[in-house]
Amino acid sequence: MLNNVFLKTLRDQQRSLLYWALYLIAIAVVMALFYPTISKMTAFNQYLSQLPASVKEMFGAGVVDYTSPVGYFSTELFSFMVPLLLLVFGIGFGANAIAGDEEKGTLGFLLANPVPRWRVVADKFGVLVVSMILLGLFFWGGLAIAASSMHIDISILKLGEATLGSVLLALVFAALAFMAGCIKGSKSTSMGVASGVGVLTYLLNTLGGMVGWLKGYRFLSPFYHYMEPNTLQNGLSPVHILVLAGLVVVFFIISIPAFTRRDIGQ
Amino acid sequence: MNNDTIINTVKLTKYYGKQKGIEEVDLQVQRGEVFGYLGPNGAGKTTTIRTILDFIRPTRGSTTVFDLDTRQHSVEIHRRVGYLNGELALYNDMTGEDLLKYLGNLRGGLDWKYVKDLAARFQCDLPRRIQGLSLGNKQKLGLLQAFMHKPELLILDEPTNGLDPLMQHEFYDLLNETKKAGRTIFLSSHVLPEVEKVCDRVGIIRQGKVVAVETIETLKSHSIRQLEIHFARVVPKEKFSNLPGVRDINVQNNILTCTVVGSLDALVKASAQFEVVNIISHEPSLEDIFMTYYNEGKNNVK
Repeated sequence: MLNNVFLKTLRDQQRSLLYWALYLIAIAVVMALFYPTISKMTAFNQYLSQLPASVKEMFGAGVVDYTSPVGYFSTELFSFMVPLLLLVFGIGFGANAIAGDEEKGTLGFLLANPVPRWRVVADKFGVLVVSMILLGLFFWGGLAIAASSMHIDISILKLGEATLGSVLLALVFAALAFMAGCIKGSKSTSMGVASGVGVLTYLLNTLGGMVGWLKGYRFLSPFYHYMEPNTLQNGLSPVHILVLAGLVVVFFIISIPAFTRRDIGQ
Repeated sequence: MNNDTIINTVKLTKYYGKQKGIEEVDLQVQRGEVFGYLGPNGAGKTTTIRTILDFIRPTRGSTTVFDLDTRQHSVEIHRRVGYLNGELALYNDMTGEDLLKYLGNLRGGLDWKYVKDLAARFQCDLPRRIQGLSLGNKQKLGLLQAFMHKPELLILDEPTNGLDPLMQHEFYDLLNETKKAGRTIFLSSHVLPEVEKVCDRVGIIRQGKVVAVETIETLKSHSIRQLEIHFARVVPKEKFSNLPGVRDINVQNNILTCTVVGSLDALVKASAQFEVVNIISHEPSLEDIFMTYYNEGKNNVK
């Protein structure tokens, strides 16, 4: 029974969640299927080892040994593809949650009911977090089953930790889009702000690895806190996780007064 | 303020940036009355309503509903109010039934039998997805969700939008029943005849300012009409000049046109001396009423 905004929002999300989950599982399975072929390409590894350190940086931190399971999955999945996909989903959802409904006019309709505004914000944010975690779980599940059924020598737990890292990174930008929507009520502005900050902080982190004077500013980039610990190799780093989770919490906290204080658009 | 004032706005003012929204709006809506809020599109009707519901915050002034401040107690007020938006936007991917049940749950449950009765009266196709519904059918759902929890106060923004005449009639009946049950209705409209038909009192808003609050009787006594009377033969103009309330008289052959303020009695009696073939009455536009009636005091129009 739909008796609150949380369940209604989750219901609206079910089809989208299903497709994204299938998509992520498919990617996990396909990538695992390719691994046996890659693992035999030792010549590729030699080639990589001759690359300058700055170029290696662009591939992500896990290129120590590309043909090892950790190197392969770090490079192919966790350095770019998985966080990017989760980001696209998260920013879309975050921008739509408040600002999208507001532009459609359904938010005013909802707020005429005895539901406090803070509750609408909290419920929608809750669905955002739950959806991202669900997607992470599906991806992790798909990857774990594929990897173990192909006897790939990699820790299932570490795969889960790396996935959690990706989910948290994506949540930072999703929460940013959500907050922008609470402040301004425009879906396109929210998406633009979150994507723009995403691209800039991504560049800050990668360029910061190569350009000397930028190095000191890398800590400002969420991507730095995601990439730096090399989670698939070393497991989650509490400090970096706290930074990412802290950002999510801060964006959420700002969202509530931003939305409860302002005028609601048509 | 006594208990019987349901809505009370005090110098309610809202600016959007430089643009004027509404200015110093003072309205008192009493328990059990149907109050019409009349004005042309863009006059500030929706802005007033959205401020009363705390969707937007006033630049100055304040509002109480049920003696509760709208800024402090919006949730409690919403619990006791049924609202229909002017630009209705429903969840398109739900069926009418799911939508009403969801909204009912947000209100802590519904008398579903009453909802069914209402749906039958308005011939709502509840199991259908909202996406496929016509404008009129969506409007009926909008009305249903406003009335279904039997609120003490109904705030309806252009309620008859898109309704066919039969459904309009049904809606007017529902308004009457609601009023008889002692509940209060505040509705906005840009159509004068509608307001005349259903309301006890009318507030007229123009360019963000409430220019008059009148009972329907007063409004009708000032109502203006453009009349065209076709006679069987040519009539002399002199017979019609100096009739009380009749102005702008023009006679061309056997057709007389004029504007009448208030009672038609004098004109009808004067016309009865001749053979009348046809009488055509044009409802005045709101703008005509404002221009003629409300400017009258200032420059003694003709």
